[in-house]
Amino acid sequence: MLSNMIFIILATNLLISSFVMISTKRVIDSALSMLIALLSIAGIYATLQSSFMFITQIIIYAGAILSLVIFIIMFLNIKDKNLPHEPHKTRDMILTSLVVFPITAVLIYFIKLSDFSNLNEKTTSSIGKVGLELYQNYVLPFELISILLLISLVGSITLARKEKDV
Amino acid sequence: MFKNYLILSILLFSLGLIGAVSRRNIIIIYMSIELMLNAVSIMLVSYSSFYNTNTGVVLSIMVTAIAAAEAALFMALFVTLYRKKKSLDTSLFNSLKDTNATK
Repeated sequence: MLSNMIFIILATNLLISSFVMISTKRVIDSALSMLIALLSIAGIYATLQSSFMFITQIIIYAGAILSLVIFIIMFLNIKDKNLPHEPHKTRDMILTSLVVFPITAVLIYFIKLSDFSNLNEKTTSSIGKVGLELYQNYVLPFELISILLLISLVGSITLARKEKDV
Repeated sequence: MFKNYLILSILLFSLGLIGAVSRRNIIIIYMSIELMLNAVSIMLVSYSSFYNTNTGVVLSIMVTAIAAAEAALFMALFVTLYRKKKSLDTSLFNSLKDTNATK
């Protein structure tokens, strides 16, 4: 019962903050509400008793990626005149949600119909089991991801370097 | 209970999709893409938790790692584009457009 309540609070928090994120004009407001959304997602991982994803979400998303975004926003020193001029923002968002709504409604309808009666209870996934799964069955993707991270590191340095005047 | 997690994930994905399609600010588009990746991660982790397996958590770790790589490249792209155009408007980023084709 208590975990149900916690889930509802976190889900409401998450949906409201993500709506604020996609609808504000200033970028820094959007980034800060995304921080709230990411922390709520970390709480949802905690209600799923998945401790490793809880830690990963806080360290990587809220700690690394979002601080990078906020650093870039402050570094670029974005004024209001540099923001895009969006006079029809509300109309565009309503029209897009009219397109997206049927897909969402159909998916939710099918989830309501489907039968998940053979479910287990929620189980704690310990870090040790996740590590064994990662190194026993998914070694090749894991190593490929390390190469991908190296390539993106080199690529982002090359891309952001100041070009010499031709 | 399990259905609630799936419905939450679908709603979050739809919000991210609306943000990515309807906005013109490139940083907000990037953050909407991150929101969609997070929605997929919630679904994977909830399957993994209710079906008593660890595969979903492993896949979700990979999604997180790819999102980190993507974040680095997006930041470099923001800096480059902002230096050239002095704006975050995606409709101004048309450097590859063929100006002779419309004539």
